[in-house]
Amino acid sequence: METKSKILIIDDEEVVLDSCAQILKGSNYQLATATDGTRGLELVHEYQPDLIFVDLKMPGISGFDVLDNIHSMDPTIVAVVITGFATVSSAVDAMKKGAYDFLPKPFTPDEFRIITRRGIERRKLVLETIALRREKELLREQFASIVSHELKAPLGAVQQNMFALEFELSNSLNVEQKEKIERIKIRLDELLKMINSWLRVISVDANKLRENFKPVSIAEPITSALESTATLAARKNIEVVSEISENLPALLGDSLSLSEVFVNIIGNSIKYSPDGTRVTVKAEEQGKTIEISIQDSGIGISKEDLPHIFEGFYRGKSGQETASGHGIGLAVAHQIVEAHAGSISVNSETGKGTTFVVNLPISAA
Amino acid sequence: MAKRLLMIDDDPDFVSGIKAILVSAGFEVEVAYNPKDGMLALQNKHYDLLLLDIMMGRGAEGIMIARKLRKDVKLRELPVLILTGMREQIAFLFPGEPVHPRFVEVDELVEKPVEPKLLLEKVNSLIQLAEAKKAGK
Repeated sequence: METKSKILIIDDEEVVLDSCAQILKGSNYQLATATDGTRGLELVHEYQPDLIFVDLKMPGISGFDVLDNIHSMDPTIVAVVITGFATVSSAVDAMKKGAYDFLPKPFTPDEFRIITRRGIERRKLVLETIALRREKELLREQFASIVSHELKAPLGAVQQNMFALEFELSNSLNVEQKEKIERIKIRLDELLKMINSWLRVISVDANKLRENFKPVSIAEPITSALESTATLAARKNIEVVSEISENLPALLGDSLSLSEVFVNIIGNSIKYSPDGTRVTVKAEEQGKTIEISIQDSGIGISKEDLPHIFEGFYRGKSGQETASGHGIGLAVAHQIVEAHAGSISVNSETGKGTTFVVNLPISAA
Repeated sequence: MAKRLLMIDDDPDFVSGIKAILVSAGFEVEVAYNPKDGMLALQNKHYDLLLLDIMMGRGAEGIMIARKLRKDVKLRELPVLILTGMREQIAFLFPGEPVHPRFVEVDELVEKPVEPKLLLEKVNSLIQLAEAKKAGK
């Protein structure tokens, strides 16, 4: 059953209220009226209208104030201002303030009907958009948990059987066969990591992250990131130099997630650097933030790609190559840094190298 | 005498990867591929350890088993090694607790897949711990 759309009219002229009621008689709307702003706002609360007509010039609270209040009560309510010819410019002001339309006095029944219909349609559209957005959010969360089980379960079974095979054959495999098994294990492990980081992009929830914030000394996540990337660096003979200023103030955050940020960025720098070069990680106080920079002499990122490197794959426009081979890690890093109210930026020149700069606010102790 | 283990997990391929390792190490392993058969086996036979999967069937059915074990005076003492593919979701099942709480007297949690060395270490230490606890009573 379709519920009747609810309309509220706030106007100090009884004749306007009466004529509006007359016009809407027999139509599929419910109507409530108020002769001043105070009563009107009470009704917004009690009656929960879909569409509100409000006169701009009234004794007591002005139409502008009513408009402001409506929007702070429920921004989805559609408001239309009623105005005399003399106040057309204020109608424009009202629309700037969020009114959807205006109805100039005097108006014909048809004008009123059309604006009413448009207003109600607008309200439906606003509500639908919100519902759709919510549905999309929910789908995103569920998607993450379904994918995580559906993708990880078969992969887990494959890995477990590899482990068993290697265990059973441990005494009879020759060096080359062992190497093959090792290669399979490494690639499977990478696949699992990739699935995990994709899921991270979808499911990083800034609010959940913030619930676990504690004072963190920045050296801690950086050091742990350097340890995690040490093998990769050694394999490419890349020297990772860290220059962390002493006595840096603490910041409020989640050490594990921050370490993930640095693993992703440092790992990226190593991956795109020629063998035997150097990656420098610096952390220093910079005003009210701690600035961490990661500089490499790698292949660099092209100008066209730079604006997109922090985008996750799910945000990318169709056909647009996101992250351009830089993986999903940077998108995760971006989300985590944002959850810490920080910023992340990148400077790069093709062929010369790339510098990532992360700024994190120092906790106001 | 060989130690007897029960594994409850709905993924036969994963099970065979675990079972092979445990059998080569000298354990006797029985398997139940769903929670119902698992509970039945637990009530009728004696085991030295339970290997338990969390995400089975329609959801976290492994948790249901753990809850039943916790209520059972005898089964409460059975050591449990929880094997799970989703560490994050354990906390979600127990709101407000970041790490999984103890389900039973002796338990531990490892993520799938499990390296053979780690698997055998955990299984052996859990059995020993449970036996020491029993002897101490």
